[in-house]
Amino acid sequence: MAEEFNTDSMLDMFLYESGQLLEKLEGIILEKQDADCFDDSDINEIFRVMHTIKGSSGVLMYENITKVTHKLEDVFYYLRESHPDDVPHMELVEKVLAVSDFVTGELDKLKSGETPDGDEKQLVEDLDEFLSRLKGEIKKQGIEMPQANRHVEPTQFYITPVAGDDSHFYRISIHYRSDTQMSNLRAYSATYALKEVAEDLLYTPDDILSNEASADVIVAEGFHMLLQTKSSKEEVIALIDSSEAEEINFDELTKEEYGNALGEFGREDAMPATQPVEAAKSDDKDTKKEGPKPGDYVVKTKEAGKGKTLAKNQPKQQSIISVNVEKMDALMDLIGELVIAEAVVLQNPDLKVPGLELSNFQKASGQLAKITTELQEVIMSMRMMPLTNVFQKMRRIVFDVSRKLGKDIELEVVGENTEVDKNIIEHITDPLMHLVRNSVDHGIEENAEDRTAVGKPAKGKITLEAKNEGGKVYISVKDDGKGLNKDKLYQKALEKGVIENKPMSEFSDKEIFRFITLPGFSTKEEVTEYSGRGVGMDVVVKNIQSISGRLDISSVEFEGSEMTLVIPLTLAIINGIVVQVGNSPFVIETASIKEFVRVGEDDLIQEPSGEEYIVLRGECYPFIRLNEKYDLPDSVNKIEDGIIVVLEHEGSQVCVLIDKLLQEQEIVVKPIPPYVRKVKGLSGCTQLGDGSIALILDIAGLLMHDGERR
Amino acid sequence: MKILLAEDDFASRKFMDKQLSRYGECDVMVDGEEAVDAFMMALEDGEPYDLACLDVMMPVMDGYQVLKAIRDIEAQKGIPKSKRVKVIMTTALNDERNVKMAFELGCEAYAGKPIDVEKFEKVLKKLGLI
Repeated sequence: MAEEFNTDSMLDMFLYESGQLLEKLEGIILEKQDADCFDDSDINEIFRVMHTIKGSSGVLMYENITKVTHKLEDVFYYLRESHPDDVPHMELVEKVLAVSDFVTGELDKLKSGETPDGDEKQLVEDLDEFLSRLKGEIKKQGIEMPQANRHVEPTQFYITPVAGDDSHFYRISIHYRSDTQMSNLRAYSATYALKEVAEDLLYTPDDILSNEASADVIVAEGFHMLLQTKSSKEEVIALIDSSEAEEINFDELTKEEYGNALGEFGREDAMPATQPVEAAKSDDKDTKKEGPKPGDYVVKTKEAGKGKTLAKNQPKQQSIISVNVEKMDALMDLIGELVIAEAVVLQNPDLKVPGLELSNFQKASGQLAKITTELQEVIMSMRMMPLTNVFQKMRRIVFDVSRKLGKDIELEVVGENTEVDKNIIEHITDPLMHLVRNSVDHGIEENAEDRTAVGKPAKGKITLEAKNEGGKVYISVKDDGKGLNKDKLYQKALEKGVIENKPMSEFSDKEIFRFITLPGFSTKEEVTEYSGRGVGMDVVVKNIQSISGRLDISSVEFEGSEMTLVIPLTLAIINGIVVQVGNSPFVIETASIKEFVRVGEDDLIQEPSGEEYIVLRGECYPFIRLNEKYDLPDSVNKIEDGIIVVLEHEGSQVCVLIDKLLQEQEIVVKPIPPYVRKVKGLSGCTQLGDGSIALILDIAGLLMHDGERR
Repeated sequence: MKILLAEDDFASRKFMDKQLSRYGECDVMVDGEEAVDAFMMALEDGEPYDLACLDVMMPVMDGYQVLKAIRDIEAQKGIPKSKRVKVIMTTALNDERNVKMAFELGCEAYAGKPIDVEKFEKVLKKLGLI
């Protein structure tokens, strides 16, 4: 029972500390009761105990405790300062025990939720009398009187909340007659009346004033309130306007039930009565947890009628701490450096001396590699955040835009708990927003009749789906709208002059769909507020490419379209293949390599303009010689001597010629320093095991460059 | 006495306003930033507040931030400790660590909600306000 009342953790702390101190005090006293007197360290200790209890009871304003402990502190102050002889030891012991008993008694009252109202007068008088005798004794013994014990009144106070035991908890449900007009206003007037007496009031539906539609909900499902108040049932009922009400259900709840009910009503910051208890419990588990900071409790501006929520969502599980993102980034960088350093050690050229006995080194290095890999995984997982918030925004967009456009659209969300790197979340929010808007605006048909005519339900449907597969995140926006018209796209592309009169049959479906991502490309005749200006899709693609992702488009006319963002799970560390051209090492991301092949001179096609192609199994691929492109001397020039790497990006392929393959390695991507001019086809650099710098090939850049050349 | 009350919850605000108005003129603010603004304004007008009652969970700035801001402003203006506005935090967040933090930030009292009116008055006496 005791714990249930002490819901206040300050009070808990006071009771706990004081209890401990008193136990210690009694220990000292009982040990020394048969001795002649207390020794110095005992006197100091007792003084300190009294001083502490006096201080904290002062802050909490338990004045009787403060007064008593204050007096005993005084007594021990004189003992400490003057060391008088012939102190009546037995009497002193009795006094200390009397004080200890008094304080313990008051603490017990507090523990059971009562007011500590014990009368301290007698005890204080006794102590006063004892003190004056003590002073007299000190004088008689000719010891100099110490300066009076100076007391610092507490300057800070803690006001414990009123004990909640005289509060009542009610669940009130009002059912209005089905013909009631403006039932939401009636419900509001009920809440308004109750606010007079309420210590806490929660109701559902909670948007009664701002949402007229809530009137229907109230009539259909009733209006439900949770009330914490000191008023009795009768008083509360008198406050509620019962006209038009068909039925009022009135249940008194226990505090616990009330706490649980709060959850049902969707309040996140559980009531004060239950929260501190949980907090206190978890305190025991990890006391080193970071304390609260100013700014942790900023409340988001209330949405009309909604309960308040903390802007910085107070973590429900107390075992979560928030970490500055910069620190996480720094840690990530450091781990990146560690991975490089590891490679430098494990692949150190010194180890290549012939005849070295390395078996122990290999064992140890295996262990090291394992730990660094785990370390990487942990930091990755720490940076992972669920997409929930991003998807939440999309819900809002679908809602807003579809309303404005007068379309009836349902949004289905799948896999919103999929986790991705925080950096990536920042980068995909805008593109995703754009895609969703496009789907609502262009994807879903203008009129419901257009939909029913082709046998689709009148209500449009957009599916937002996220999944995690093989180190990539797939986020797709799918609509069941009119889909993309290939002929229209092709015509438009012709008009814009982006495809130079090539016949439509030369393009695959995917390539035609990708036209919509070209700058200035919009097949929509009229521009709306939301989309259609043709800026956007190209920006989407650019944003996605900046985080090494890609956009896949698939569509069936009259059935719908699907836009899929494919993004790597993380940006900073990639798995790559190190290759060599001339004397320069290059890194190619493993995921973009389709195959390695050796081909002969006859598979090479040279166009008069100098462009080269390679024919593989009847397919023709553009061919780039890295050595020529980057002017690398001493490299393989004959195609038979080198290796051809087939690279793929967003469905397009390109072949590059390299000299040889070196190794597969975890690569920490570092940006190319700004003093190096932006080089096409390179996305970054990294340091290899032997300390040399390798450049990372950017497949998208290579393809683009290749396209321009043509 | 001049009182600043910052509280975003309507019911609590009404209650506190009623209580505090007994002791003096009470200005009511609904978020943390307003509270700091009001404090600053009163200071500049040469009529500083004697007492500030701050809720913790508020929009824009929370009570702890307001408290810190107030103390920082006072320090910057060289206002002596005895002349500083007395600050009472009024909140249901009475976790011991929160209370300690508030004390370290320099509030005079920390009142857990629901507020014990008797004790509240006692504190006002102890602080020499009434």
